[in-house]
Amino acid sequence: MEQPVQTQTWKARSLEELVRILHQIFAEDKVSVEEVQALMESYESNPEEWLRYAKFDQYRYTRNLVDNGNGKFNLMILCWGEGHGSSIHDHTDSHCFMKILQGNLKETLFEWPEKKGNGEMTKKSERVLRDNQCAYINDSIGLHRVENISHTETAVSLHLYSPPFDTCNTFDQRTGHKHKVMMTFYSQFGERTVC
Amino acid sequence: LPSGLSQWFPALEVLDVSGTGLAEMGTELLSLPCLHTLLAKNNRLGGPGSLPKGLGQAPLARSLRVLNLSGNRFAEVPPALLQLRGLRSLSLGGNRLHGIPPDIQELRSLEFLYLGGNFITSIPPELAKLPSLRYLVLCDNKIQSIPPQLAQLHSLRSLSLHNNLLTYLPREILNLVHLEELSLRGNPLVVRFVRDLTYNPPSLQELAGRTVKTRNVPYAPSDLPENLVRYLSLASNCPNPKCGGVYFDSCVRQIKFVDFCGKYRLPLMHYLCSPECSSPFSSASQSSTSQSESDSEDEASVAAHRMQKVLLG
Repeated sequence: MEQPVQTQTWKARSLEELVRILHQIFAEDKVSVEEVQALMESYESNPEEWLRYAKFDQYRYTRNLVDNGNGKFNLMILCWGEGHGSSIHDHTDSHCFMKILQGNLKETLFEWPEKKGNGEMTKKSERVLRDNQCAYINDSIGLHRVENISHTETAVSLHLYSPPFDTCNTFDQRTGHKHKVMMTFYSQFGERTVC
Repeated sequence: LPSGLSQWFPALEVLDVSGTGLAEMGTELLSLPCLHTLLAKNNRLGGPGSLPKGLGQAPLARSLRVLNLSGNRFAEVPPALLQLRGLRSLSLGGNRLHGIPPDIQELRSLEFLYLGGNFITSIPPELAKLPSLRYLVLCDNKIQSIPPQLAQLHSLRSLSLHNNLLTYLPREILNLVHLEELSLRGNPLVVRFVRDLTYNPPSLQELAGRTVKTRNVPYAPSDLPENLVRYLSLASNCPNPKCGGVYFDSCVRQIKFVDFCGKYRLPLMHYLCSPECSSPFSSASQSSTSQSESDSEDEASVAAHRMQKVLLG
């Protein structure tokens, strides 16, 4: 008989503590989505703690690896310049948590396109995520596009993916056609990775 | 700005007055000879006194590299701004601009231009005269078409056009060799073949212009009024390789679809100088799909090689 997962109420008082607690949680066989989401939300963003990972690129958003969770998860910081946005993408059967550290991000949810679909993809909902809020998505919930719609402010977000993945599919909103892409890191552990 | 600013801080290089409710920036700016970065976003600038008079003659005109005026109330690009010859980065995002002045070409050193989130309806071809422009942001505006001359922006690496009113793109966009990022989502791009049957006969000015260009009639700026010199510099080449002709405003338009790696179909507008000219691909047929797909394979493979990240998604 399966033991129920013990969910605790965590409070991460620093980024370092957040990482430490994540390692602890993911060392178990079973992990509760609600527990991780609450933990991520409990961390109050303090730029001094993450500034060294926040490397911006002029032309597009960047992915900066913070911790590779002993292979159980990837924790990374994404930096979005004004107007930067992602394509519509899936999450390769993984859990995805996204927490706002600075600025705002608009998340638009989409339905999966029909198998032989050749029409405009269906928008399910959209919302603007604000400071310290944490969103969750996985493939059974749907697909999403994330954008910094501000023309004056940059945005920074903290992402956790479990299990880690380095490829995903991007989708053309007009046709639903998908295209597999390789995801890369702009920096790892605070060091710029040269491709 | 507080008076005496330049006396207290004569060596000031970076000034950030964002979010201070500023409605005017006065003559205090003119005596800051070392200022290279001025950030004044989210203020109440946009009225007549926003930039000080005499800006063009001040040391600032040569020293200023970065100017951020996003989140203000500019309804037009202030002419004084165009005198900042050394400017490399300009942001006027989130203002109330309805257009871009052709004199934007005066900002010869510009590398980064952010005009997202305005009410811009069209792009002047003169924008293409910025030789160092690498990043051009025009998202969230009301732009209906892109002038083919924009393909002359040889240094362009990233072009942001999402959330506009584009139905097609000029085929010349494929000539942007260094373009790595192109965002087009949120535009009503046509997905089916569109046949444009209207052809406006060329004006006398256009016919004269075509003759000057195709016969290589020599001329110097002193021979012609300035507006005609400018007009002649805006000639576009007819894509028909056997034609070698040019056109200015009058042309036949045809939409062909180009597949990028078999994934995205972009409607590209082909311009021909006359109905008698035929495109490098065979002329329009009834069945669009098979025609455009077989025609565009060559063009697509070249384009796909150059354009790696087309963010249509």
